[in-house]
Formats: sequence, C-alpha cells, structure tokens
Amino acid sequence: MVGMLTPMERERYDRQIMIGELGQEGQERLKRSRVAIAGAGGLGSPIAIYLTAAGIGRIRVIDPDEVALSNLNRQILYWEEDIGRKKVDSARAKLRRLNSAVEIETIPETITKDNVSDLVGECDVIVDGMDNLPTRYIMNRCAVEKKIPFFHGAVNGFEGRVMTIIPGETACLRCMYRGQVPQEKFPVIGVVPAVIGSLQAAEVIKYLIGIGKLLTNRLLIYDGLKATFTEFRVSKNPVCDHCGSAALP
Amino acid sequence: MAVKVHIHTTHRQHTNGLDVVPVEGITVGECLNQLVRQFPGMEKALFAKKDKLLNVVEVYVNHASAHPNELAKSVQDGDEIHLLVMLAGG
Repeated sequence: MVGMLTPMERERYDRQIMIGELGQEGQERLKRSRVAIAGAGGLGSPIAIYLTAAGIGRIRVIDPDEVALSNLNRQILYWEEDIGRKKVDSARAKLRRLNSAVEIETIPETITKDNVSDLVGECDVIVDGMDNLPTRYIMNRCAVEKKIPFFHGAVNGFEGRVMTIIPGETACLRCMYRGQVPQEKFPVIGVVPAVIGSLQAAEVIKYLIGIGKLLTNRLLIYDGLKATFTEFRVSKNPVCDHCGSAALP
Repeated sequence: MAVKVHIHTTHRQHTNGLDVVPVEGITVGECLNQLVRQFPGMEKALFAKKDKLLNVVEVYVNHASAHPNELAKSVQDGDEIHLLVMLAGG
C-alpha cells in the first residue's frame, strides 16, 4: 500500500517514530508527501537535508545556479569538488546518498511568473529557499492562488526570520509589502541559514503531520548575535494584492 | 514613562550603539520624528522622504505589525516600537 513503511524505514526512522506526536502514522504521512524547495542555497541546503533525513517521500529541488566558491561558507550541500557543477545535480547526488528511499526531483530553472505554476503546482507544500524578494513574491502569489502552504524564511548577517503561510487562512508574505526594495548582495554566515532552514523544515514536518503550533500570523525573528528569538504578530492585510481585495482575479 | 523604540542591529551605528531609545509621542510618526531629532543619522536609515518610510523598514507596536499606515498608528506611554528590516537573503 502506498505510504506504508518498509522494515528498513521503520528502523531508519525509529527515533522519530518514538515521538508521541509523530508515530508510525505521521511517518507514513511524510512518506506520502511531496515538497518543493525553491532555491538550493544557504536555506535550501539545510531544508533539503533535514526533510530528506526525515523521510519526505518526494522532494523537488529548484535552482538554476552552479556551485561557486563563495557558496561554500553556508551552502552545506556542496563541497569543493562541486564547484562549477549544477547545484541541483550535486544536491540530488548528496541527498540520494543520505536517503535513497526519498525521490529527489531536480529542476535547474529560474522561477518566473510564467513557469512557477508548472514548477510547484503538484506539490503539497512550497518551501522558501530563495535569495531575493521578487522571486519570493512570485512564489507567494502562486502559493496563494493554488492554495499551497508556503514556508517563508530569510536571512541577512546574523539575523533570520521564519513565518508559515496557509493561503486563505493566514497572512501571506505580501500582506507586509510596502513596495520594491533594492536587490543587493547580502552578508551571511552559515550558522544562520542553518537555524532558519531547520526551523522551516520543522514547520513543514509539523504541517504535513498535523501537529504542534505553526508559525502562522507569527513572524519569528532570530538574532544570532544576541542568541534571542523574538516573535511578532502579523495579520492578513484585507487589501493585500495577493490574498486580499486588491488581488487580481 | 516613555515609548521605547527598539533599534534594528544595522541602525545602531546611528544611535551610538543604543538598542533601545526612549521617546515621547502619541503616534508612531511622532515617536520616530523624535528619534530622528535625537539621532539625525536615523533619518536616512528609516525614511525615503518626509513621512514615507523606506520600503524595507517594518514597524511593530507591542509586538504586532503596525502595517499599513504605520506612522499614524497610536501609541501611549509604556508601549514598545520595534523597528525591523525586511530580509531577502537565502
């Protein structure tokens, strides 16, 4: 039967199946799930690693880039020998070695408003691993229109943020939009996307199993310098142009 | 008792390193204007032009988003304003 665990899977996931809120049923739900990770960089790397380790059935990794030396301080899916290689190819090879039972799909394409629906449309959730706001908004709009939960994360320097978006129910990323911002190279150290990506992966797992309390209408800010987490409340914007009255039909 | 303005990490260079600045005001706008009077460097850090925040700046009052119409949001003594910056990296 689809989603039933094999004996090897029961052994592999034994320690998380022991968690009362997860159990075998939860593990089977993870196995039946399909996750799109948009971006395989600093955030996408830990997201992909931890969702693969947790036993998500199908993971789709979307990223057009090749590995560069300056990626290696944070993009832990890639090693020195991968420089010049397509990120999705390296990601697939590493993730398959981590967990051969997980189906890894790879798409070496740039996400645009014209292709986004095809890239993520069949997935249960979309995880934000992007490195710029315009593409995040393309993903957000698609998630809202297709009613696919969207797990936002972003970093800069020693700071990061996480929020979970359930279209139709919660604030979306665009609810806080105030206008275009300049695109710049951003400073970041690997431990920060590690924290944020792990939190995003945790949110995905909780959502797919239906446990815990999600970061919905809750913006969690991580200050790595002070080692603090601070939570802020966010509300749906009734005139949001993605999820509110100003949204195009 | 004043309104406390929590300064974002990247803006503390303009506030002599202070991460919290007490101000007086009955709206977010008044409070930020007083912040700028105390620390003029904060003007370019927060505002694109008079009464218009930079698009990257986010304002929270008592841990709740003040968006939209942030500057008109009422505040009272004891309230806390957090100034954040939209992040884009990944």
